[in-house]
Amino acid sequence: MGGPRVLLVEDEGLVAMMMEDLLADLGCEVVGSCDSIASALEWLDGANDGLDGAVLDVNLGGELVYPVAEVLAARQIPFAFTTGYGMLPENRFEAVTILTKPVNLAKLEAAVRAFGG
Amino acid sequence: MPMDAALAQTEAPAEGALFTLVETIEDLSAARSVDQIAAVIRSAARRITGADGVAFVLRDDDQCWYLDEDAIGPLWKGRRFPLTACISGWAMLRGETVVVPDIYADDRIPHDAYRPTFVKSLVMTPVRPADPIAAIGAYWATRRHPTPDEIAKLQVMARATATALESARVWASLNESLERRKFLLRELDHRCKNTLASVQSIADQTLRNAPSPKAFHEAFEQRLAALSRAHELLTREGWGRTTLAAILQVALEPFGGVDGSRIVAEGPAIDLRPESAVAFHMAFHELAVNATRYGALSYPGGRVRVRWSVDMAAPVRALHLEWREEGGPPVSAPSRSGFGRRLIERGIARDLGGASDLDFPPEGARFTLETPLSHKIGLA
Repeated sequence: MGGPRVLLVEDEGLVAMMMEDLLADLGCEVVGSCDSIASALEWLDGANDGLDGAVLDVNLGGELVYPVAEVLAARQIPFAFTTGYGMLPENRFEAVTILTKPVNLAKLEAAVRAFGG
Repeated sequence: MPMDAALAQTEAPAEGALFTLVETIEDLSAARSVDQIAAVIRSAARRITGADGVAFVLRDDDQCWYLDEDAIGPLWKGRRFPLTACISGWAMLRGETVVVPDIYADDRIPHDAYRPTFVKSLVMTPVRPADPIAAIGAYWATRRHPTPDEIAKLQVMARATATALESARVWASLNESLERRKFLLRELDHRCKNTLASVQSIADQTLRNAPSPKAFHEAFEQRLAALSRAHELLTREGWGRTTLAAILQVALEPFGGVDGSRIVAEGPAIDLRPESAVAFHMAFHELAVNATRYGALSYPGGRVRVRWSVDMAAPVRALHLEWREEGGPPVSAPSRSGFGRRLIERGIARDLGGASDLDFPPEGARFTLETPLSHKIGLA
């Protein structure tokens, strides 16, 4: 397919479905779709060669997604945050793109382009 | 003016003390915390009473806590004693000022605690005598009877301290409320944005599968109404946990509700977190729309049975839920997988884990869900 291979982490089912569709529209292959920190970390532990980028919802049912971001950062895999917060709580990743909800398609596209792949 | 000068000399100390007392009362009324109150007393009480030492004692349940002091030699700062084993406790338990002209001649005094100190006489007065919360002690290095004026000044200071402690408490609770308000506004903003994202998703997905603008409008409006009813239910429950039966009832209301004849629900009380409640609500809504359009609810004799159970003997406890339609027209699987079907098949399973299945045998649509119990969903 040739598009970037993307991991999606989003706990709200409705939003996840839309994000999967939007990412597919943008030519991405959604290779993983997780709804919690635990399942995302487990997914990252498994076979995931060739992951080009990730889209991470910051607040997953009250937990902050940062442990997942740290694993991605250590592997030099680019990622973007989505959030309902105007400002991120305790953000340690200042250079990372923040997509505010509801998500703007053009901004999502720009973020995905930066993944390469 | 020798006479005036002499007069001024005798009056100056008394006026100075009065001025200090007024200033102290002002400082106490401006204090915003117990520490600030203690600091005011430490810096002013000795000047006002003329004592060799003062101590500010807080009542902490059944203990006296010597919070702060200013004295010519160390007293008991930072230490705690049982209320029944020290004179500040005696004053607080009785709500009375106590005067001890010679501590070693008074049995109420724990003499061992006083031997390392300079103290030979004292006055101890409770703060808020009706229900004492603290005490102020004045100590002298000589045996002496304190003057009525010294006692009165100490009591005035104790009264101002009572007011100050009360306003510190009010101030703290006000600050707490303001912090809470800030937090709630932030949470509200977060929830709003998430809800808007859900609406965006519903619009996007409905649009993808709509054959015409009219069809889009109808489906979108219904889904929005379903989301709105789910929110109403959750708001009623204070965005805490809610039950499966309540969600089912609210979701099926537009379709006749769980009436025990056309729509039947059976199962133990199951409670779930608000996010999962929304997923269930949307799935039930889509199932009901489908049943009304093509399935059991489109026929006079048709009915829907929703049954769920938890197998208590299983090693991993899981909820089994079944939506079964019967007595409707013969059904066949829809040719394409629309948003409604995705919501039913994936919405709950994605949120709660486990597996779900929607199939269309000729006798009626059947949806099954098996999901492990967790912090998200459990027996109520």
